[in-house]
Amino acid sequence: MIQLNERTRRISPSRLHEVLGRYDARSIVDPFMGVPTHLNYLKRHGLAVHGGDVVEWFVRVGEGLISNDFTILRDSEVAEIVEMIPGRIYSADMFKAWEGVFFTEEQCIYLGVWHENVHNLRSDGQTGLAILGLWFVLCYWLQKAQYPDDMQDIPPSELAWNYIRQTDKWVSSNLQHNSVRHADVLTTISAQTADALFLAPPARNSFRSADARIWMWEAWWQANPYFNIEHYYRETLFGTHSTDDQGYARAMASVLSAAADYPLIVMQTTEQRVPELEPLLRNARSEIEVYSPHALETYLIAAK
Amino acid sequence: MTLFQDTGANPSPSASALADLLSLFGAIADFAVGSPRRHSRRIASLSLALAETAELSNEEQHALAFASLLHGIGALGNSAYRKHDPLSSRSAQISSWDVPPEGARICGALTMLPKDTADYVRWHAESWDGTGYPDQLRWHGTPRAAQLIHIAHTYLEAGEAEDGLAKIVSLGGMAFSPELTRSFVMWFHTNSGEIAVRPLPAEVLTTYPNAANDLLNLVADRIDLHNAAPGRWQRVAARAGRTAEELKLGAGERETLELATRLFGIGELRADTLESQDFDALSTLGRDERAQNAVAAADLLDPFEALQSVAATLRARAEWFDGTGLPNGLRHEAIRIEARVLAPCIAYDALEQSARAQVRSERIVPLERIEDASGTQFDPAVVRAHSEVAPTLI
Repeated sequence: MIQLNERTRRISPSRLHEVLGRYDARSIVDPFMGVPTHLNYLKRHGLAVHGGDVVEWFVRVGEGLISNDFTILRDSEVAEIVEMIPGRIYSADMFKAWEGVFFTEEQCIYLGVWHENVHNLRSDGQTGLAILGLWFVLCYWLQKAQYPDDMQDIPPSELAWNYIRQTDKWVSSNLQHNSVRHADVLTTISAQTADALFLAPPARNSFRSADARIWMWEAWWQANPYFNIEHYYRETLFGTHSTDDQGYARAMASVLSAAADYPLIVMQTTEQRVPELEPLLRNARSEIEVYSPHALETYLIAAK
Repeated sequence: MTLFQDTGANPSPSASALADLLSLFGAIADFAVGSPRRHSRRIASLSLALAETAELSNEEQHALAFASLLHGIGALGNSAYRKHDPLSSRSAQISSWDVPPEGARICGALTMLPKDTADYVRWHAESWDGTGYPDQLRWHGTPRAAQLIHIAHTYLEAGEAEDGLAKIVSLGGMAFSPELTRSFVMWFHTNSGEIAVRPLPAEVLTTYPNAANDLLNLVADRIDLHNAAPGRWQRVAARAGRTAEELKLGAGERETLELATRLFGIGELRADTLESQDFDALSTLGRDERAQNAVAAADLLDPFEALQSVAATLRARAEWFDGTGLPNGLRHEAIRIEARVLAPCIAYDALEQSARAQVRSERIVPLERIEDASGTQFDPAVVRAHSEVAPTLI
């Protein structure tokens, strides 16, 4: 059975919003975006938000939640995602490699069907919403494999329907330009200007222990069950060149140097990592406020 | 306020009195959003029972007790619930997602609460799978205590015990973590789904000299925000306080009056508009509505022993001096003196706010109108005292 991390990063956008409010920041860039639900929250509260990531499915979801202001999926369109469409050709063994290892035969067939159906959607916004909704299904299945007696057996298409329908509620407009880009951290930082830069930097070598729910969904999006997310990071700033302390410090210095023009930098980390990250940030900014509402949620706030 | 002061020389309110006031705050929030009476208290009891089954630490249980009690206070003043032009259902839904963080901000300002209370309030509506609100936290990102509030809330919303069980089991691995779903099922079968009332761990509250005052002022601010009547309690309190001084009321009466000025607005929380917007503050037509609001406020305070005199004052604040008022048709001295003082002060404020909204040339002087109602609606002695002090309050 696959191991699911107990602790993944906790980003509380409502708390981040309070921090940003104290500095009157009305726009934000997050170059390590991940699943951009936090940016969606900030967007809903009126901030102009810009995100970037090297993992493609995060960016596609961002096209559904961040750059998309109005597009939703109607019932008929959801129906065209969750079930086979007569006349469309499906590859029955696209995810056969996962069968019996992570998923059942039926689940693997559905993963293939959904992959085809989502790739046939007409707009980026709809595609992003569908990817997010179906990701919740993947997570449900992986959890259920761990807790078979504590979770309901729900037919795949019904589960997918329920989750995709839920994504609609997060679509909103804030009358601002909001964007996401499929790019490395430095590119995202340089491509955009904003009042604040939000950094939740990955731990050293963290790409080697990426959560299964993250890498697996990229593998699904790329239709390659053998996909290794390490490929994405290998040549990036936080890839193989930053596996030791010095390399990691150099990478962070590059990020902070690229961020020199941002009036505010908010770095989120854990209390445990403060001794490692605070000196790096102090090299770039002299005044740093440490706000730590919780051991797992510490903010290093550096105004210019 | 001495009403909540500890016995002996300690100038701080007793911890149990603070716990009562916090319970009242929870009850007011329940009332504002239409939840059943004692809803938050029942959620607190169930959350604590579940916390024992799930073996949460004592520290977590202490914060959980107050977080579950106060989980809904962010609704007071939230635009999905407060008085103003109605929002579309979608806008209201989006606004309602801000109830938990607003509640967390309020709890953050209440320094008497145990550590982590605010966080549990912030995250009590998160779902295990990441589809909750406000932060869409996923999996173990939501503290277990916060998840228990969500479970307790869902169980009570379902109504019948068996429906609640079915609902929670069906949401295992979606809204709730599989482990805590299992804990709930264990609790359900051990207790047949019956919620036993549990005492709040008042002893963990941090009390200090102004704690009760700070809390009541904050409650009053939220009531005014919800009623779209900013600053109202302060204006009425200043007027009532000066009038009480002029009448040389005793310390106990003045304290009751002080509390009543902070809490009289709770009766109006559920109404679409303020009573003074529907009917003139001196009109006989508004008697029913004023009495209804007075009774609603008093009913909310009734369960709290230390607030009995305030409840009686609020219940009587819509009575008329000549005996033609409601709800009980009391007359003259049968109406508590605190209520006789409170009534013209509320009416004056309503008239003054209404006059401010009108063109200057059409303004009616509120003081004259209050004096005109002397002997009928209001106690003449109180009106005289009020007229004496009124110039000093402008």
